[in-house]
Amino acid sequence: MKDIARQRMSISVETMDLLNNQIKMEAHASASYLAMASWCDQNAFTQSAAFFYNQSVEERSHMMKIFQFVNDCGGSAISPAVGQTNHDFSSLEEVFETALEQEIQVTKSIHNIVNECKKNNDYNVENFLQWFIVEQLEEEKTMRDILDMFDLIGRDGIALKMIDERVTISEGGGETE
Amino acid sequence: MVLVYKSEFYALYQNDIERCYFLDFGHKTIKFSFCQLLALRHKINSISITDHFDSSVNKHGFEVLTLCNKSHLFVFNTLEILDLNQLIQQSLLAVGISIPCNSVACVY
Ligand SMILES: [Fe+2]
Ligand SMILES: [Fe+2]
Repeated sequence: MKDIARQRMSISVETMDLLNNQIKMEAHASASYLAMASWCDQNAFTQSAAFFYNQSVEERSHMMKIFQFVNDCGGSAISPAVGQTNHDFSSLEEVFETALEQEIQVTKSIHNIVNECKKNNDYNVENFLQWFIVEQLEEEKTMRDILDMFDLIGRDGIALKMIDERVTISEGGGETE
Repeated sequence: MVLVYKSEFYALYQNDIERCYFLDFGHKTIKFSFCQLLALRHKINSISITDHFDSSVNKHGFEVLTLCNKSHLFVFNTLEILDLNQLIQQSLLAVGISIPCNSVACVY
């Protein structure tokens, strides 16, 4: 009996499921950043708005990266449905804190997939995800640095304006691969 | 053709020459490419089987599935869906493209 399944696909179906789940997560992150961009725009935080628009594009590029990888492996990438996205924030600080929280969840999820890959000797996927591990470290740092500014500069009107001016797109790595 | 797995109602065969699979539904046998098999798996995994036990959501406990890019249309009852699910899971294990469930964190 030929190994037709292996000829057709170079990853396990379980790994494919985990990657499809990650696709969903990146899509949700993209939608979530778009909502944050909208909030910032409406509240006159123009630099932060630009930052989140850029983040949203980046998250979509992450999604596409995994999406194409799944199909390249012979798997079946599923176009994700994105559910409800939160648009309510009580402050600029809360926006960035939510962003950091979201990045932490993504990091955990990526680490979980790598962990499963290690258990199942899935070297291809483990290797593919290395880029995401580095990226997540970078993303968490970006958000943390911005949050630090609230402690340093303050939380009142003029301080918020100063923080917003210091939020630059390059801070998000600007790297849309 | 080699038998991959036989469930209570269905059976999956592999055809080495055509590099494809044949799913015997009892009254009808259908050719599946590997991709189409993955698509079937996705459809079955997307079914909420608990809805079958809630008459306000799924009144008659039926699922209508189109298979192989809309070439076929099937109506399955609850037991048939469960059996088909079993067939797909066990077949993928048998062909070595799936990892036994206790060794991996299943999404589904
Ligand atoms: Fe991401
Ligand atoms: Fe991110």
